Amino acid sequence: MSSEARLEYLRSIATANVIDSPSPYKSQKHQIKKKVNRRNKAARQLISDEQKRINGLLEASVSEENTQETCKRLVPKVTYFNINAPPSMKPPKKYCDITGLNGPYTSPTNNIRYHNSEIYQLIVKPMAPGTDQEYLKLRGANFVLK
Amino acid sequence: MSRDSSLPLLKIYTVEDLPLNTDPEPFIDVGEYDINRPIAIDFGSYNVRAGYTDLSDPNLVFPTRLTRHRDRKVAKTFTFIGNNTRLDQTVRSQSKTPFDGSIITNWDYVEDIMEYTFHHLGVKPNNGVQNPLIINERLACLQSQRQNWYQILFETFNLPKVAFGIDSLFSFYYNTQASNKSNGVVINCSHEETDIIPIVESQPILGECKRINWGGRHSVEFLSDILTLKYPYFPSKLSSFQYEYMYHNFCYTSSNYSKELENLLSLDVLEDKNIVIEVPFTEILQPKKSEEELKRQAEKRKETGKRLQEQAKQRRMERLVQKTEEYEYFSHVREQLIGQPKKTVLSVLQNAGFDDEADFKKYMYNLEKSLKRAQLLEADEHDDNNNDGDDDNNQNKFDLIDIPDSELTEDQIKEKRKQRFLKASYDARQKAKEEKARIAKLEEEARIKDQEWRETNLNSWIKDKRNKLNALIKKRKDKLKLRDEMKDRKSQVAQKRMQNLANLAEDSPRSKRNRHQASIDNDPNDTFGANDEDWDVYNDITQNPEAFDELLEEEYKEIVELEGKLLEYDPNFTEEDTLDAQYDWRNSVYHLFLRGPRPHDSEDPHQQHQMHLNVERIRVPEILFEPTIGGQDQAGIAELCETMVTKKFGSKPSQLSETALQMCKNVWLTGGNSQIPNLRQRIVNEFTSFLPSGTPIGVYISKNPSLDSWRGMSKFAQDEKLLNEAMITRKEYEEYGPDYIKEHKLGNCKYFE
Repeated sequence: MSSEARLEYLRSIATANVIDSPSPYKSQKHQIKKKVNRRNKAARQLISDEQKRINGLLEASVSEENTQETCKRLVPKVTYFNINAPPSMKPPKKYCDITGLNGPYTSPTNNIRYHNSEIYQLIVKPMAPGTDQEYLKLRGANFVLK
Repeated sequence: MSRDSSLPLLKIYTVEDLPLNTDPEPFIDVGEYDINRPIAIDFGSYNVRAGYTDLSDPNLVFPTRLTRHRDRKVAKTFTFIGNNTRLDQTVRSQSKTPFDGSIITNWDYVEDIMEYTFHHLGVKPNNGVQNPLIINERLACLQSQRQNWYQILFETFNLPKVAFGIDSLFSFYYNTQASNKSNGVVINCSHEETDIIPIVESQPILGECKRINWGGRHSVEFLSDILTLKYPYFPSKLSSFQYEYMYHNFCYTSSNYSKELENLLSLDVLEDKNIVIEVPFTEILQPKKSEEELKRQAEKRKETGKRLQEQAKQRRMERLVQKTEEYEYFSHVREQLIGQPKKTVLSVLQNAGFDDEADFKKYMYNLEKSLKRAQLLEADEHDDNNNDGDDDNNQNKFDLIDIPDSELTEDQIKEKRKQRFLKASYDARQKAKEEKARIAKLEEEARIKDQEWRETNLNSWIKDKRNKLNALIKKRKDKLKLRDEMKDRKSQVAQKRMQNLANLAEDSPRSKRNRHQASIDNDPNDTFGANDEDWDVYNDITQNPEAFDELLEEEYKEIVELEGKLLEYDPNFTEEDTLDAQYDWRNSVYHLFLRGPRPHDSEDPHQQHQMHLNVERIRVPEILFEPTIGGQDQAGIAELCETMVTKKFGSKPSQLSETALQMCKNVWLTGGNSQIPNLRQRIVNEFTSFLPSGTPIGVYISKNPSLDSWRGMSKFAQDEKLLNEAMITRKEYEEYGPDYIKEHKLGNCKYFE
């Protein structure tokens, strides 16, 4: 299909999906209202907002408890944070950062774990600066400059 | 390489980029429209599944992606959603998801996708959508997420009633509703996260849920990261779909990871576990030149080569003459200096521009060496080019040399200079020829002696040759090591060298005490230079890497020669003992990891476009059991299940409760990521390992886990009582506000107790 025909086809698809404005699927009242300007927050921001909200509620409940004897103190039950799986209790196994095999050795210069002397000679020793961080990043052991 | 040719070819899997969709998203024809017919939407971060709940399967399944495409020609912005984003390459590459991880961040996109869904479902709108809706939300979702959903659904789309529920609980409900088991564990392996939810008496115990922040998307990204590091110079860039394809088709959960790792990279195991991936590429064929053209080119090259050779020869000749003169002069000086007092020697040498005697020695040594080499070269060339007859003719032409300049005309003087030059080179040639003959004779003698030795006492001959070979190999190794160490500024060798240099550069003279001690200059026992090796000191590796390489090359030739002899006469010395065979890809872990169980030909364009998956196949799925591999400091699925079953719900590790035992008999895997092969078996193994032996275990996975959640919704809608309990009406929303949660057995519960 020629590029022009392709474009024409795409336009026809898009046009078939165009919904009249104001959209019949949406509440008229809502559309008459000025369109809300939503701010798109990043996930990290949203999570920290939630943390703030929960902490705020807890603090409020504590201070309330001090003034009124009868009020029950809030206990977090199910929040985004307390269902997060805890760290493992088992000693972490060591794997070669290059191959994924067992990695009993650690390079003294850049903390890369490696499987045997061959991997060390071929990969770890001549490793270009920066590549070591890429490898360490895989298991979250890289340096993060803040 | 003859033993490699017998190996059968490996199967090659071609991994193409995702083909474009040919058909656009369909519009569902619903016929008679019923506004009481509930709609279920499973709004996942990978796919959206939507449909009417009285059907067994969703009407629409499409990727949660949206593209705003600017058409410059008609100056309009078009929006493509779901399967329509896959109609065109550019549109697809620009598509975005409303999710950031497991959290929705772009609600404008959500609004558009929802509207698109209703549009394609054939909803007949009337100031909004009038059907009841069932929709999913994440386990323990953020309040802001729910608020936004409320807003969109009740305010924007004006829905009368909506039920929220957790997708993995819908799946569990779908799969176990018919059975009478009311306790169980749901392991939800989704695109963005992995959750474990215990269920007791049909009620999810959300307080004991655990979430691992690792899902299918992370696995695909991890695979792409490790493969880019494994093949840093891979010629083509793979799309995320290609990595996804590899993850889905070639990765599997290992039944016993540590055991499988141990022998994964052995030849026979690799034979069936190594996967060869080839990325499609266009082969570049060198255009063939016509024969005539080739001929012409060759001729041209030859001509230029000849000219250059002649020029070089001329230059070499001039240099040779100069060097010979110098050498003669300085040998003369040296002879004269023998027996003279030290002081005189030094002053003479310093006048001639040398630092001291050592410097002079070094200079002479180098001169001698280069002279010898040049003469040899000269002789070689001469033999190639001329017959001996020329030399005789030359003899007669040197008639002007012995006549003093004063008796000659200007032209003759010029001629004389030329003759002198020619004579010098002729002499040098003669000398070289003699030298060569002498060396050849010596060599011949040595050869005959060697042969005699071999014939009379083969064993001692072999022993001698082997020792020599070993010594040579060791020397070569040492040299290579030295070179490597020199490259590293921090190595001991390099540091020592720096120290020496620093000492030499030191200005202050040595202390008096030292001066009277024997030094390199006045040591009578100094035998430096007697041994050829001593001069290697001046062949500084860092300053003259070419010379060092040459040396290595020479040594290598010697090794090969020795090996050739041993191969011929030593019955115990085989092809495999040679230095070349010592490096065998079969023994190289790195080769097996990178290139699989076959030799690698770096020239083959097919092999250049191939990746080998072996360790990766089990390494990536293993992260669910050991999230630390992927940098998540969390416990894995197995450990979380173990804690849940053996320490919670009234269990002690020594005595499991009845509830816990029932839970073990009803473990359900759901979510798209649970389709990784062998996951079920691994979970069975893990449960077996931490439960008392003989405990009945039941781990289940449905045929299409990614649709289970939607099917659960549709089943849920059939149960009118349940549905009514869960439905939030618009009126309730308006009354209680966005904080309102209606608790039911498949949904989230309140944040606080």
